[in-house]
Amino acid sequence: MELHLTLIFNGLATGMLIFLLAAGLSLIFGLMSVLNFAHGALFMFGAYMGTWVYILIGGWNSPWGNLNFFVGMIAAALIGVVLGYLVERFTVRQVYGNHLRQILITTGVMLVVAELVKVFWGPNLIRVVQPEFLQGHFLVGDVRLTYYRVFIILFSTMILILLLFMLKKSKIGVVVRAGVENSQMVQALGINIRKVFTLVFIFGTMLACIGGYMWGPFQGQVNPGMGLDLMLIAFIVVAIGGLGSVAGSAIAAVLVGLSEAYMAYYFPPGSLAVNMLIMAAVLLIKPTGLLGAGR
Amino acid sequence: MLKIKDLHTHIEQFHILQGVNLEVPDNSVTVVLGRNGAGKTTTIRSVMGFYPNMSGEILFQGKSIAKLPPYTVAKQGIGYVPEDQDIFAGLTVEENMRVAMRREDDTTLERQEWLLDLFPDLREAWKRKGGHLSGGQKQMLSIARALVNETPLLLVDEPSKGLAPIMVEKVMEAMNVIRETTTILLVEQNFIMASQLGDYFYMIDEGRTVFQGEMQLLKDDEVLRKKYLGIA
Amino acid sequence: MKTTTKVTAYTNPSSGLNPLRIITWQKGAWIVCCLMLFAVPLLITKNSYLFLLTNIFIWSVFAMSYNLLLGFTGIISFGHAMFFGIGAYSLALTARHVPGGEVGFILAILATVVICFVLSLIVGLLSLRLRDTFYALITLAVATIFVIIAEQWRSMTMGNDGFNFTASLSRDLFGFINLLDRRHVYYIALIFLIGMFLLLKRFIDSPVGRTLQAIRDNEARAASLGYAVLNYKLISNILAGVMAGLAGVVYAISIRFVSPDSVLGVENTIDVLLMTVIGGVGTLLGPIIGAAVVEVSSHYLMGLANIHPIFERWVILFGVVFILIILFFPAGIVGTIKQKFLSKKKGVSS
Ligand SMILES: Nc1ncnc2c1ncn2[C@@H]1O[C@H](COP(=O)(O)OP(=O)(O)OP(=O)(O)O)[C@@H](O)[C@H]1O
Ligand SMILES: [Mg+2]
Repeated sequence: MELHLTLIFNGLATGMLIFLLAAGLSLIFGLMSVLNFAHGALFMFGAYMGTWVYILIGGWNSPWGNLNFFVGMIAAALIGVVLGYLVERFTVRQVYGNHLRQILITTGVMLVVAELVKVFWGPNLIRVVQPEFLQGHFLVGDVRLTYYRVFIILFSTMILILLLFMLKKSKIGVVVRAGVENSQMVQALGINIRKVFTLVFIFGTMLACIGGYMWGPFQGQVNPGMGLDLMLIAFIVVAIGGLGSVAGSAIAAVLVGLSEAYMAYYFPPGSLAVNMLIMAAVLLIKPTGLLGAGR
Repeated sequence: MLKIKDLHTHIEQFHILQGVNLEVPDNSVTVVLGRNGAGKTTTIRSVMGFYPNMSGEILFQGKSIAKLPPYTVAKQGIGYVPEDQDIFAGLTVEENMRVAMRREDDTTLERQEWLLDLFPDLREAWKRKGGHLSGGQKQMLSIARALVNETPLLLVDEPSKGLAPIMVEKVMEAMNVIRETTTILLVEQNFIMASQLGDYFYMIDEGRTVFQGEMQLLKDDEVLRKKYLGIA
Repeated sequence: MKTTTKVTAYTNPSSGLNPLRIITWQKGAWIVCCLMLFAVPLLITKNSYLFLLTNIFIWSVFAMSYNLLLGFTGIISFGHAMFFGIGAYSLALTARHVPGGEVGFILAILATVVICFVLSLIVGLLSLRLRDTFYALITLAVATIFVIIAEQWRSMTMGNDGFNFTASLSRDLFGFINLLDRRHVYYIALIFLIGMFLLLKRFIDSPVGRTLQAIRDNEARAASLGYAVLNYKLISNILAGVMAGLAGVVYAISIRFVSPDSVLGVENTIDVLLMTVIGGVGTLLGPIIGAAVVEVSSHYLMGLANIHPIFERWVILFGVVFILIILFFPAGIVGTIKQKFLSKKKGVSS
């Protein structure tokens, strides 16, 4: 029983981190039908940038360690905003409406961003540790709950709630939901959908960068391979959850996170295959994904 | 209000509109008629700016709006009710209205109240999702959504299509109220509706304006109706 | 990509003016080119150059097969390297485990054809019905599973390290081919390239190939005209898969080593993607030019890494060039030259 509780706990933490990566991908995909192959690389860039700042200002060992951690997170978010703007403005925006060229150009961006990481920070992994107040664990019954994972779950849940609230209540949120369904009609109502695209792209990239940053202490390191590995998982999550559905992404991310945790325990090499089977099963029953709009 | 001169529109490699001329006088209801596939919808969508691959002149209140992107066209004060209503299915009636609101100030909210008085069905379905509305309710919502901002000109594409006769009646009544404050360009196959509402008509066939005049003319001319519309 | 259809549509009537002369002129140029390539090993004896040229030929075929998907069918695969890798591993494993050169060699080719055929059929059936973006996603996922299998099945594949099988390569295949002689391998690759090129050309010009391009240009219209769109895409998917697999077989002969990274990984798919786009999407010659450009420049850029470590990051250069090409020259090198050439000709005649 403890084993299962532990695995479920770990799966939740993994899943909620994947959610941060998948949420932006899903919104971008749903709204602009851009399958953003650069998303994983941007996630990685955010991870490196944040970690670099975190370490640069003293890291976890300094008396300001706890604060440093959040400064790093802000740095990751900021670089996400900058990169999101640049990538949208100079590449993706130029090829809206052409799926093939969108996939190609984001692949090019992926190559460049992933190499830039190696240019700036070298090809080797960088070790990173959580700040002091998130180190260690506590016991609930016999189940060990590490503070950092609890933090991940709480933080990501907070982002999820915030995101859902924004989509439900704010004007821009309503417009985004409308745009996911029918962006032409949104335009015909007097809204410049391109501006909304830019905004969503920036926001999605920012979330990915924050997620990447939090991934570091979770794994104890950041490395130049993390982008591609996780991107594939994020794609699967988006497909399971339904394009453009944030709530769907959250459910799918937890599902995939749980499968990752269980497979990591029983048969690590099979985890991708299992995730793909889950995807195939969901898409077979409901081709638009769990909560996808029926298009 | 609206003047279209020698409009040509290409969709992909097809030359769909090959010279549409049309004028909508202020404070009138102008009806566009023509058989299926004549190019009525394409004309309206060209005005909205959906087809960059067009040539010709489109003047709205004297200013050229040709080739402007759809959102700018809409902002000039042109409301658009598409052929299939294009209600956002996952959004409630309230949210559908909200997407359209350029400002959420008192004037706009007052207009919304006025529209809800016009279409009481919408008030009833206020919290319901767009996808769960009946065909008639969708049509009402689509019209209300197009009018929630200051809208001198309304473009309506076949509002009676697929509606039950009672609903057609309701929509027609509402249009009769709307015409008092808004100029209307109406595409309509239902000749009863067209003839009751319209002041002027334009006949489009194979992408060209082929006939025009006061509605009375068409009402009296059975031969013409037969020729272009196939109805007596 | 649409422009390329216009290009062919334009050349046909123009060559109709004087068909004999133009056709013989073009054919002559081709034959001269081929002869020169056949003469190369007589002139160049340095193995490293032969090796480079051999690999260009092989990657050309791989890129041509990719172009069949991207350029002529209009779909993006991120898993094309799985076929290449399957071919390479087939050869490597039979070389190591099946004694008797010919038997192993033929077995490797048969296995490659059969596996690639079945796999591309299954993947195509699963993903070609979905939106085009899903095809990219599913091919990436399936290919990643193959990488994982190659990494994990250590007893068979030696895992991540891969293995070298130089010693097991036959010195007299069918009595006259020495797979350890660079010149022999060069000729195998060259003949393979010419054969595949002619095959692809015939396919593109065949009714099936033409329909395929019509589907690419306007799928809805082709479907409404009654074409079984899925079947045509499946055919192209299978042909591309088998071709990539065979390229993998020849590649394994050339590099005498296989590992997940070097033949199976997604990096290989991205390499052919680069080659195809740089050379010219939807042109027959484009992938060959692209393969030459990418192989030669990466060869020299890698050499420069001794001078400054920044050159280790040469991929970045390709990435930037790639983005610029997609933004400004979507027809690639060959396509852009063709357009320029043809518009000039048009200008003169009119
Ligand atoms: N995207 C498109 N691609 C190709 N042809 C199109 C496209 N859209 C419209 N057409 C063609 O343009 C012509 C005019 O279409 P349009 O929708 O404007 O007709 P309509 O007068 O509104 O007809 P209806 O009464 O059926 O609504 C039709 O022949 C149609 O087939
Ligand atoms: Mg119509």
